[in-house]
Amino acid sequence: MSLRSTVRALPTLFRVGFAEMVAYRAEMLVWVLATTMPLIMLALWSAVAHDAPVGAFDQQDFVAYFLATFVVRQLTGAWVAWQLSFEVRTGTLAMRLLRPVHPMVSYAVENLAAIPLRLVVALPVAIIALVLTGGSRLPRDPLLWVIFFLSLIGGWLITFLANAAIGTLALWTGSSVKLMDVWLAMFMVFSGYLIPVELFPPLIRGAVEVLPFRYQIGFPVELLTRGLDRGAALRLLLGQWIWVGLFLFGVRALWRKGLQRFAAYGG
Amino acid sequence: MVPQTMVSVQALRKHYTVHKRPPGLKAALGSLFRRIPTVVKAVDGITFEIARGERVGFLGPNGAGKTTTLKVLAGLLHPSSGEVRVDGHVPQRREDAFLKKITLVMGQKQQLLWDLPPSETFALNRAIYEVPEPQFRNTLAELTELLELGDLVNKPTRTLSLGERMKCELAASLIHRPQVLFLDEPTIGLDVSMQVVIRDFIKAYNERTGATLILTSHYMDDVAALCPRVVVIDKGQLSYDGALDELVRRIRPEKRLVLRLDGPVDRAALEAVGRVVSTDAAGVVLQVAQDAVNAAVSRALATLPVHDLTVENAPLEEVMSELFAQSRAARGEVEDAA
Amino acid sequence: MTAVARYWRLFRVQVRSSVLLGLQYRADFVLDGVVSLFWTLTALVPLFTVFHLRQTVAGWTFEEALLVTGWFTLLEAILEGAINPSLTAVVEHIRKGTLDFVLLKPADAQFLVSTARFEPWRSTNVITALVLWTVSFVRMGRLPSLPGSLAAALLLVVATSVLYSLWILTVSAAFYVVKIDNLTNLFNSIFDAARWPVEVFRGVIRWVFTFIIPLALMTTFPAQAMLGRLSLPALAWSVVGAGVFAWLARRVWLSSIARYTSASS
Repeated sequence: MSLRSTVRALPTLFRVGFAEMVAYRAEMLVWVLATTMPLIMLALWSAVAHDAPVGAFDQQDFVAYFLATFVVRQLTGAWVAWQLSFEVRTGTLAMRLLRPVHPMVSYAVENLAAIPLRLVVALPVAIIALVLTGGSRLPRDPLLWVIFFLSLIGGWLITFLANAAIGTLALWTGSSVKLMDVWLAMFMVFSGYLIPVELFPPLIRGAVEVLPFRYQIGFPVELLTRGLDRGAALRLLLGQWIWVGLFLFGVRALWRKGLQRFAAYGG
Repeated sequence: MVPQTMVSVQALRKHYTVHKRPPGLKAALGSLFRRIPTVVKAVDGITFEIARGERVGFLGPNGAGKTTTLKVLAGLLHPSSGEVRVDGHVPQRREDAFLKKITLVMGQKQQLLWDLPPSETFALNRAIYEVPEPQFRNTLAELTELLELGDLVNKPTRTLSLGERMKCELAASLIHRPQVLFLDEPTIGLDVSMQVVIRDFIKAYNERTGATLILTSHYMDDVAALCPRVVVIDKGQLSYDGALDELVRRIRPEKRLVLRLDGPVDRAALEAVGRVVSTDAAGVVLQVAQDAVNAAVSRALATLPVHDLTVENAPLEEVMSELFAQSRAARGEVEDAA
Repeated sequence: MTAVARYWRLFRVQVRSSVLLGLQYRADFVLDGVVSLFWTLTALVPLFTVFHLRQTVAGWTFEEALLVTGWFTLLEAILEGAINPSLTAVVEHIRKGTLDFVLLKPADAQFLVSTARFEPWRSTNVITALVLWTVSFVRMGRLPSLPGSLAAALLLVVATSVLYSLWILTVSAAFYVVKIDNLTNLFNSIFDAARWPVEVFRGVIRWVFTFIIPLALMTTFPAQAMLGRLSLPALAWSVVGAGVFAWLARRVWLSSIARYTSASS
């Protein structure tokens, strides 16, 4: 399980992961179609902004915001919590542990392998968004674009690691699907997914700044559509990667503990 | 007069299309948009008849079409062409009267409710099959006795061992006293003693109730013990249909002498009695022609230090492999000639 | 025994199994109930935020929109308690290859799979729905009219029927697609649009949500009935529409089963 052998195995892992995704393309399509939330919210907020802008958002702003949310969601999604719960429950985790690759790496590759296919759907939506709203909201500063791509990676990492952390708890509780549901509920509300962070009343706004959810999706979307300046962008980037670090550390510790318990109980 | 023919199959064909997915990244991408359909001929022209109360074994290599044929008979699959009748019914119509006469037991798959005791599944089946209360009680008592279920039926299914589950599964499938039993690999995964229990039960059930039995199994012991008649299906076609003994005689007519010897014997002496198949610590196995058995036995007893001697047929596994090899060769020859 | 009597008896046997099963997993109730409640409360945040910023949205006030959310919550409870558990079991059957056993039984497959599992303890959201309605009417300072309430009760039956038919259509898709854990996800995602009055949507989408995937029928119309705003023709059409939808779902189910039996191996 050395780093070198893992790196050498990566291309094959990705190829196999991608082939799997293609094999289950119908499911992939269903997954993408199931991302209806941003579109429903778009309809809702457009109705709210029908007569007059809401805060700094007019209808066009909402179109840009929520279509961007749709695209970013496709690029930062992960489902390893359900994978782990399933494998713990059915005992197939043992098989994954036997492979000469760290399970987290194999999970990561499987989750990442879905992105190319999701791009197939995300790209047309991004183009539609551009056509509908014009490119005026996109950042002009090349540094901001660099930060944007970094924020996508960071967003995916937080989503993946949060999933992994909760999924690892299944090694203790048997199934952590319900806990993941709780996380998801909070994610949807506090990340900017359902409600742009700017529109929250000040009380909730304070909490949102501190919680990790906004960095999963709100931050990249705001970079694309809300005209952040360099200072704000860098500050938020730092905040995002502090959370990445915290989760990375947490998952490592949890996983190690969890494996001990798994080995002790025979899985 | 009760009609004698229970199952009638005429020129049964079952074809279906699968989509080939070649390996490699480029092919994977290509298969996103275009797939290659291939026709698989699971069953390709099978004809046979089974009489009421018969016990018949379907034999064949994996993927031969045995389970497909069974499912067509049970009405679970529609034939692509051909005529199928079970007790006068057309299975694919799935009439209630037909469904109440049959049962299907599949090894490794179960209809028992997982978290509840088997008794709950029995009660559910009783309601579904509309079994009158007194008949239900009688049947249950009989099954409990024959299968030695004891208190198993009151424990949640998930707590039972594989063998115990299979016994309860059998019981659940017979609550409605069906007249036709379809058994698909019923003893798979079970230990040897449990296999014997299941086999004995099936035989006893058939003898007691006169139910017709169609069994598929990879375990030749199942077939040897239960099925005087076998239907051999290979690559969707009928290879053989008749008595099992006849099949053995036809394919491997030689008998085997199994000798336990008191001391070492040189090979030439063994060769004089018959062809040496194997020699090991357990004993010596010699192969002799059918009509030479008596002579070989006398010779062995006279010239060798025999401690114990038995005369056996060739093991069924060998007979089967030989049969499949022959039919494959025959088909290969036909294909080459064509 | 007549068909009705027979199926009523089958129904009772199935319910008994569900109850016995439920008693086995008592601890799960509480946890499920809590998580359910959490989801419902979190889902109210957008509603509160939106109406914090505006008095009316698409012609609906906060109290009126709350009624729609209440109906959504109620239907979610019915979905979680009566419909989801059974139909999820069908998906499991297809995956494990044990659907054959269901098809071999001399009883209607759709009935058997639909009544296989009930989990009424999941329906804690029924109470939440009642609370939301109470809050709404208290704030409006009035009670729903009698004809309005009767119409709403009728629409409850209609809405449940439509919900069930939608689920049958979703599950029938399971026969065509190999790996469909996400079908429940898809269904829930589309159903989520029913949280809002249908007037929020415009153009084609509103038409789709009224006639094709009749979400409007399930939450907006009953809320309007409670407010005394639903016209009689709309009510009549809802009932007829639900009937047609149920018939359609049944046809799709039957053809899916036929395809399953002729195409699979």
